[in-house]
Amino acid sequence: MHSSGKIIPVIFSAFLLFSGCTKEKNVSYGVNDKVVYEDKSLKTKRKSDAEYISILYTNLYQVPISPTRLYKTQNVVYSIGDRNVANEMVLSNYFNTSTLKIPKDSEMRADVAAFVEKCYKRFFLRYPSEGEKTFFINYINSNPNVSVEMVYTAFSVSDEYQYY
Amino acid sequence: MVTAGTVAAPYILPTGRMFARTNAPKAEYVVMVMFAGGVRQQESVLQRYLDDSQEVTGAAGNIMPNLFTGIAPDRKIVYGTDPGGGATRGSEPIPRILSQSMEDTGTVFKEMSAISAGHYVGLNTLITGSLGTAQGLKTRPKYPTIFEYLRKHAGFAALDTWFIANGLGNSTPLLNSSKNADYGLQYGGNMFAAPYTFGGVGREILGNGKPYSRAELEPMYFMKNFLDQSFGLSVDQLETIKNTDEEKTKIKEFIRAVFQRQDQGLIPRPPVSDNGDAVTISYAAEVLRHFKPKFLTLNMSAVDGCHSNFTGYLRSLHRADHSVGWLWNYIQNNIPEMSGKTIMIIAPECGRNLNPNPILDENDWYAYDHSDANAMRVWSVMVGKNVPKMTVGSENNKVGKLTDIVPTIADIFGVYDEVKASPYLDPQSKSLFLRM
Repeated sequence: MHSSGKIIPVIFSAFLLFSGCTKEKNVSYGVNDKVVYEDKSLKTKRKSDAEYISILYTNLYQVPISPTRLYKTQNVVYSIGDRNVANEMVLSNYFNTSTLKIPKDSEMRADVAAFVEKCYKRFFLRYPSEGEKTFFINYINSNPNVSVEMVYTAFSVSDEYQYY
Repeated sequence: MVTAGTVAAPYILPTGRMFARTNAPKAEYVVMVMFAGGVRQQESVLQRYLDDSQEVTGAAGNIMPNLFTGIAPDRKIVYGTDPGGGATRGSEPIPRILSQSMEDTGTVFKEMSAISAGHYVGLNTLITGSLGTAQGLKTRPKYPTIFEYLRKHAGFAALDTWFIANGLGNSTPLLNSSKNADYGLQYGGNMFAAPYTFGGVGREILGNGKPYSRAELEPMYFMKNFLDQSFGLSVDQLETIKNTDEEKTKIKEFIRAVFQRQDQGLIPRPPVSDNGDAVTISYAAEVLRHFKPKFLTLNMSAVDGCHSNFTGYLRSLHRADHSVGWLWNYIQNNIPEMSGKTIMIIAPECGRNLNPNPILDENDWYAYDHSDANAMRVWSVMVGKNVPKMTVGSENNKVGKLTDIVPTIADIFGVYDEVKASPYLDPQSKSLFLRM
C-alpha cells in the first residue's frame, strides 16, 4: 500500500515527461506573390467629402490634411452646387502651392508609359487597361503642352477617384 | 389675362427636341425670394407692429415700406438703424428704396395657406410645389424642384437656374435638386451658399486658385471625360448637378471675379447691410448681374431670431424688406437685360404663432415660435412684367397656397401644362395668375 503510493506518481511523472516534451513539427507556410489592386467595376461606394478631400490632399502633399483645413474645405465644397466645380477649384489652389509632391514634366516625358501606369496606381489603385494606357500615351506624346499638373487634375476630379 | 391673344411659339430644346410651349410666357426672368425665416402676418402684411404681439395699443403701422403700402408706426420705433447720440436703439427707420411699394405696382395675395408651420417643409413647398410633409432633414427634396421642371420642360441650361442659399444648415444647400428618378440631379440648378463660398473661408480655400486658360483647361477636361467614360457612372449614381465643361469654366471665372471685385470694393450691397440676409442678397445680385439667369431663387432667414428676440425679429423684417427692395431696384437699374423683363415673387415659407413663448427681449417683448394655425398663414407679393396691380384675398378670405408658386413660375415661362401634369405636384395647386 505504502510502496504503490510512491510508484503511481513516478509513473505519472514519467508519462508527463515523455508526452509533454514531444518535439513540435516545424511547419512553415509560404505566400505566393500576388499583386492586389482594385477593380474599377467593384468601386461602388462613393467617398464622403471628407474622405475625398483628405485622400486627395495626402496624395498630392504626401502629408495628412489638418482637421481645421479639412473642415473648412468641406464647408466650402458643400457651399457650391456643382461639386465638380468646387473640387476643381480646390485643386487649382493646391497646384498654386510650392509644397506639392508631384513628378516633373521632364520625368513624365522621359517614360510616358511608366508615368501613366503610376498615375493609375496612385489615383485609382489599379493598373490601366491596354486601351487606357494606349489612350494616355498617345495623348501625352501628341500634345507637348500637356503637363503633369493637367494629367493629375484630370485624375483627381474624375468620377472614378470619387469612388472606392 | 394680361397676355391674352399672344401666340405660344415652338422652340427647340438644347437636346434638339422640338418643343411647344403650352402657354405664352409672361416674362423672360423670374427671381423668387424665400422670405425670410417665418414671418407673422400681424407684423408684415397686416401692418400691426406691436398692437397684435406685445399688447401695445396705438402702435400699429407698416415696417415693410418696399413691399407694402401703409403708414409707418409712430410709437416705440426700434426696428431701424441706430442714430447714436443716446437716442433709442433702432429708432431711425431705413428710408424706402423703391419710389412706389410693390403693393402699389404689383399683386399682393394677402392671405395664403402654408403647407407646414416649419421651415424646411415650407422651403420644400416653395421649391417643389409638392405637399411634401414627409420631407426629412439633411436630405434632398423628395420631389422634383422648380429647377428640374424648368430645365427638363423649358430646356433651361444649368447656368439659367440658380439657388443662392444663406448658409449650410440643415437641408438648405440641398434644395437645388431632388434625386427623383424622373428628374434628378442631371436637371438640378446651380447653387452657392454665398456666405461660405464668398466669405473668409471661401477666400482661404478657393482664393489662390490658378486661373487656367481655356487652352489649359481643354486637355484637362478631355482627359477627365475619357476617364469618366471609362468608369461609366450611371445617372442614378450622380451626387452633384451637372454643368458642361464650358459652364464649369464660367462658374470658376465668376468665383475668381467675385474675389477680385471684393478686393476692389465693387460688390453691390444694400445701403444697410448689417446682417446675413444682406450678404446673401448681395451675392444674388452678383449672380444676376454676371449670368443673367432666367430663374434665380434666394433664401433669407434672419427673422428666425424671433424664437428668442422679438426686437431683433422686427429689425430683421425691416431689413429683409429693405434688401428685397434694393434687389428689385438693382435689377431695374443695373441689369439692362433683365430690366422690365423680370417678375419677382416673394413669399415666406411659413408664418409664426398667434401666442408668444415666455422669452423676453431687451424691450421686455415676448418672442414667437412657429407651430400653430397662425403659423400656417402667409402672404405673397408678385411684381414686374405682366403682373397687374391688384390685391387678392383678405384676412378673412384665404386665396392661394404656397404650392401655387411652382406652377406660377411654370406659367410665367410658358410650360404650365407640362409642369401641372407632374404627378409630384400638389394636385390642387395652380398658377397664382389663375387665382387673380
